[in-house]
Amino acid sequence: MAEKTVRTGWDLKRGHDAATKWTPTPDWRSAAIVRSSWSARPLHGLGQTLLSGDLDAARAALAPNASEAGLWQVAEGDALVRIARDRALLVTARPLSAPAGWSPSGWATSAADDAWAVIELAGESARAVCAQATSADLEAGSPSAALLFAGVTCLLYRTAPETARIHVERGFAPYLWRWLETVEG
Amino acid sequence: MQLFSCPFCGPRDETEFHFAAEAGKTRPEPAGEVSPEAWSGYLYAKSNPGGPSREIWQHVTCGEFFLMERDTLTHEVAGSKALRGQRP
Repeated sequence: MAEKTVRTGWDLKRGHDAATKWTPTPDWRSAAIVRSSWSARPLHGLGQTLLSGDLDAARAALAPNASEAGLWQVAEGDALVRIARDRALLVTARPLSAPAGWSPSGWATSAADDAWAVIELAGESARAVCAQATSADLEAGSPSAALLFAGVTCLLYRTAPETARIHVERGFAPYLWRWLETVEG
Repeated sequence: MQLFSCPFCGPRDETEFHFAAEAGKTRPEPAGEVSPEAWSGYLYAKSNPGGPSREIWQHVTCGEFFLMERDTLTHEVAGSKALRGQRP
């Protein structure tokens, strides 16, 4: 009678490389996509602070010069990127040192500097790349920058007419980067 | 592709939205006196009309819950309305 081999869970684990199942994470320090009419690069070191409640009061207290950005709208410098009626992501050149929690003035902050990865698209075809990722009308003036972008929730706005920023939850960033790598141009 | 209109964000692709509930359902109160049959009806029974309907939907990307009136047979959207009055 042939001896029956029993494979335990431990045996299966030893022969199984789970890392091969997942999309490889790019080396964000050197990652770049360069096409003839557009390019993409990750941005590092920006301040990202989630605001809730009275957004006008929060902006006045934290970044009075921040301009509000909805979908595909241009915001130069610090930006108050609207997500919902009472929620926005304050994007600053450097992380803020604002204490987390509720303010007596009716707004709250949550430090989110590393919660989202930020990707910059630049070039004359940046809009065309974005148009492939969403069916939203980019020129319609939507007050919320949040949308489904290549199937994942992102924030999309511009910092110059041909320069777009995408904020995506960091866990989805490798997928989104690989998606961008498939786009020609 | 069908466009739904979020009262805050404006027209967006239907894939950004989730159905939440039929409009007009009132939670039975007080909870201690509600029969199992009434709870079951509140939680699970839907009128599921064929034709004009009033429904609560959520725009997932911004989180807004809103009232949408649409025709379940023709898919025509008659309009959407915010459930709370805040700044546009």
